[in-house]
Amino acid sequence: MTAILSVLQLLIFPAGIFLILISCIYEWLDRRLVAQFQNRVGPRWFQPLADILKLLSKEEIVPISVNRTLFILLPIFAFACVMTAALYVPMFGMESVIGYPGDLIITMYLLSAMTVSLGMAGANSMNRFAVVGATRTLTQLFAYEGPFMLALLIPALVAHSWEIDDVAIYASNHTWMILTYPIGFAIALIGLIGKLELSPFDAPEAESEIVSGVLSEYSGRGLALFHIAKNVELVVGLALISAFYLGGIGNLLFFTIKTLALLMLISLLQSTLTRLRIDQTVGLWWQIGALLSLGQLLIIILARIL
Amino acid sequence: MTEKNTFDLSNIDLSKGNPRNALVDRIRSWARINSPWAIHYNSGSCNGCDIELLTIITPRYDVERLGVKMAGTPRHADVLVVTGSVTLQSRDRLLRIYNQIPDPKFVLALGSCALSGGVFHDCYCCIQGGVDKVIPVDVYVPGCPPRPEAVIYGLVKLLDVIKNGKTNPTENKPTLIPSESELIDLERPAESA
Repeated sequence: MTAILSVLQLLIFPAGIFLILISCIYEWLDRRLVAQFQNRVGPRWFQPLADILKLLSKEEIVPISVNRTLFILLPIFAFACVMTAALYVPMFGMESVIGYPGDLIITMYLLSAMTVSLGMAGANSMNRFAVVGATRTLTQLFAYEGPFMLALLIPALVAHSWEIDDVAIYASNHTWMILTYPIGFAIALIGLIGKLELSPFDAPEAESEIVSGVLSEYSGRGLALFHIAKNVELVVGLALISAFYLGGIGNLLFFTIKTLALLMLISLLQSTLTRLRIDQTVGLWWQIGALLSLGQLLIIILARIL
Repeated sequence: MTEKNTFDLSNIDLSKGNPRNALVDRIRSWARINSPWAIHYNSGSCNGCDIELLTIITPRYDVERLGVKMAGTPRHADVLVVTGSVTLQSRDRLLRIYNQIPDPKFVLALGSCALSGGVFHDCYCCIQGGVDKVIPVDVYVPGCPPRPEAVIYGLVKLLDVIKNGKTNPTENKPTLIPSESELIDLERPAESA
């Protein structure tokens, strides 16, 4: 019985098909909000779903010079990573499906593995644009990953636990951490923008410079899987930040309101800020982001000692 | 760049005799109608059509509400929008871009030059006639340059083409694609020493 329940949780609810459909709605909201900020009408509500179905029904071309196995397996690996990460994160007002001490590290590792597989896909494509995109993706990964990780570890340090559910429960019983640790919140949110490669950190897939970055050679199924993986990563990231910094698990209504508010903030930043060069991105993260998150960490440690 | 076709499910006609497959076909064609991603190629245009084409993604006309997205690479695109008469220089590139688009693919010829050669008809550096001499064209949008409304009307006509079942990739293939070396021989006869 428990086995059937686990399979259902894995494939249908809360991970699996349900999460894919929800992430489609989040992508639509993001695109719609950006369109509204740009004074446009924007896409219809079923647009991401139609895009994904169309990509899945299109031909997939494997270029002759690539490693075929990697080219076919990397999208599946990236997709599997984010779907697994979704199991550890409390979403839609419920506790996470699986929880054990240390799952925060696993989740962050899985989210990074998705970006790494994206970079590997680009490097494997043997296309000059994809290779440049892969270089930028991995460079950017090393830029934001440290501060982003520290920003997610701050609530864990405060709650004395490495388990996401414990931290979320601690967060719901105390003052919202966005008020007590605002620097950590800002770094986590901006780190999420970097992770999703949205503007201003969209140098890896800058359409005006390097056609579509790492995904230049992908078509059909591979592109669709990377597309879904990015969307699910958006939902997982929003859920993680709202659980840590915006008062814990809450219920379905509060989860929706909090994540939509965060999404609106991300869309606003996306449509107002211009693209940073890759050296500016790295400089920003290591000169300002890392110092700020280390400072926040220092404050916590000093407060605990004194 | 040569490429191999894999996972080419779209070549298999699934719709015969099975209602479930008919449903799959319907979902597929719904998705295709609602998400035509376009790539724009200038094969020798004076840039007038290109400027008019770009206005359709601006706030005033915004074709994202029809699901149109400008793709960066031919690998992501469904619709190839060609402007301008095809010059001898750009013909091979046009063919290559057309071949890089995964099936099913559609072509929209934009402007008088793409339709017939326009003012560049009989020019020494262009092929005689329009884009359809090189690749098969689904929808023609006349005008010099066409107004953005006309471009959007052409796009909607193209969606009708997709809806009416012209999604079989075998029909989409050009009747004859000469190889690049053959093309060069065809157009510029080798100088006899």
